[in-house]
Amino acid sequence: MKCLEIADVTYRYDGSTEAVLKGVSAVFEKGKVYTIIGQSGAGKSTLLSLISGLDTCKEGEVYYNGKKLRNLDRDEYRSKSIGVIFQGYNLLLNSTAVYNITLSMNISESDIKDKKAQKEIAYALLEKVGIDRETADRKILQLSGGEQQRVGIARALSHDPDVIIADEPTGNLDEATEASVLEILTRLAHEENKCVIIVTHSENVTAIADEVIGIRAGKLLIGEKV
Amino acid sequence: MYIISNAIKNLFRNKGRNILIAAVTLAIIISAVVTLTINNASSVIIDEARLDIASRVDISIDLFTHGRDGRQTITVEQYVSFADSAYLRHTVFQAEMQAWFGNFFAVGDFEMGLTPPPDPNMPHSPVGKLTGHSEPSHISGFGTYRHFVEGRMFESINEAIITEELANLNSLQLGDIIHIESAFQHGKHFELEIVGIFSHEVDEVEAFQSIVWEMMGFSLPSMISQNEIFTSFETLMSVGWETADGLDMRLEYYLRNPNDLVRFEAEVRAKGLPDVFGVTINQAALDRVTGPLEGMRSAAMTFTIVILILGAIVLVLVSYLAIRERKYEVGVLRAMGMERGKIACGIFSEAIMITALCLIIGLGAGSAIAQPMADRLLAGEVETQAEAVMGAEEGGRVLMSGGQVQTDDPASGYRPISDIEVAIGMDVIIQIIFIALALAAVSSVIGIIRITQYEPLKILRERA
Repeated sequence: MKCLEIADVTYRYDGSTEAVLKGVSAVFEKGKVYTIIGQSGAGKSTLLSLISGLDTCKEGEVYYNGKKLRNLDRDEYRSKSIGVIFQGYNLLLNSTAVYNITLSMNISESDIKDKKAQKEIAYALLEKVGIDRETADRKILQLSGGEQQRVGIARALSHDPDVIIADEPTGNLDEATEASVLEILTRLAHEENKCVIIVTHSENVTAIADEVIGIRAGKLLIGEKV
Repeated sequence: MYIISNAIKNLFRNKGRNILIAAVTLAIIISAVVTLTINNASSVIIDEARLDIASRVDISIDLFTHGRDGRQTITVEQYVSFADSAYLRHTVFQAEMQAWFGNFFAVGDFEMGLTPPPDPNMPHSPVGKLTGHSEPSHISGFGTYRHFVEGRMFESINEAIITEELANLNSLQLGDIIHIESAFQHGKHFELEIVGIFSHEVDEVEAFQSIVWEMMGFSLPSMISQNEIFTSFETLMSVGWETADGLDMRLEYYLRNPNDLVRFEAEVRAKGLPDVFGVTINQAALDRVTGPLEGMRSAAMTFTIVILILGAIVLVLVSYLAIRERKYEVGVLRAMGMERGKIACGIFSEAIMITALCLIIGLGAGSAIAQPMADRLLAGEVETQAEAVMGAEEGGRVLMSGGQVQTDDPASGYRPISDIEVAIGMDVIIQIIFIALALAAVSSVIGIIRITQYEPLKILRERA
């Protein structure tokens, strides 16, 4: 089922004449894992920014469930409909791992209002990505890069979004954790009918994809060799 | 709700920055508490003094400007009629008659006192004063330099009180009848029963004046305060006065509202008060009494304004730096989908919590500091004014007019208010709460404005 669509999107950075994305179009469905691959500077992260509602395209449209993203409340879209796993983690550094998760649940206006219950869900999510309770209660600043990345993944899942967007989600993980995270992402797509879009350079990640989308010089190469 | 709990957590997460903001806010609140408390207490006292001094209107000729011109043009009846005004809450009737003593000697010159003029229609030489008061409590000196030796204050018509010296000189006793005549208006005479005898302590100034007069050859019995006899205003008026010759009408008109002076003046002018008469309040006395308080209040308010302005500038700068520090945090929250308004609400909540804490501490500390601060400031102001008054008195003038000695300092006899009791009232608390809210707004407004300009992607890209 079609969930996200980008239609003839062109994007230029302010002050630049060169387009990063040049009239690209693609459709993303629920229940599938997509990987976007391409060289650095090819426009992968820009594409994710547009899909995740952090940026708006100058030309073309992004549709979510058939509605133009530019007409939607993008705060609500980001907090409820999508979960983003950032390459740079983007966590609240002075807060604990578990607080980062519960805060995300609160921002998304989760049905679970009880603080204890929220915390238990947060602990469970963190445990799924390999963070034990003791680590979960530590501040982000006291965690390693790999641990921070796992907290970022748990946060993206905390509000049960329809679409999960990940920018190099396994870049700092060891093989075992990488496998575990990929297993979670695959299960979310195939069993919980989520749309998972991953930007990666990793062949391990590409291997689990239902569809691989290449990007080169601002153009999407669907089904072509990148 | 999570916004508030997040704000509370943020207070502890960013201790250094919040301590700095709290320190500045606390300094401003303490200063504001102290100065507003002083200001409000001063205002109350100044208003009371204003009501007491500035509501009292005198109608008299400015002797320095007009001499005695025109005094004859106003009658006793007119003086009394001025009291019938809606602008007045009260009038104290008082008049002094230049007196000739008929059957007893005056202190200082008993021979002159008993010597009748060759022509009974010609004026006598005054040897004393008969002063009529509508309110005995307004007679100056009782309780300080005048004390009853025997008897009581006059109560009924034709009762009088005299000085101990006058009584001793003439062997007068309570119940004796004394005969007094107007020195200037023939046929105006009084038979008064002595109901009280009082002592009159001569102070250094009066003693010095007596010596000066004696040296200048002006040592007249009528100028000696022991020759002053007091009776009721009703008694003094009972003889019927067509003119005010030999009478010094000293009515004190008390306005309901000191601001009605101009309207009251217009009314008495309409009743025939000549232009040579002034309708005035004793501004010099008011200035002397309230001067130090006004000075203190002015200094306190200047200090408050400076502190508020400087404090607000520092708060804005600290807040600007703080929000720059928090740019990443704001970017993350925005990327997570938190609305700008909610982030702003969180920042404002943090500012309110810091301010509320400072408000509680500031009210306590300010109330403890206010009294000693007020005492210190007021003492300084009183000292400054005393030096100024001393300087003015050294260069002051003494006017001799019609046998009356007057200094040209209308504030003579008035002392500045040198004590003030300051306490935090509800009015100050409400004012401080408003100031605190303004501080909270100032300390968070920069952050809130900046947040509305931040784009999460831009922040996160900068970070990356």
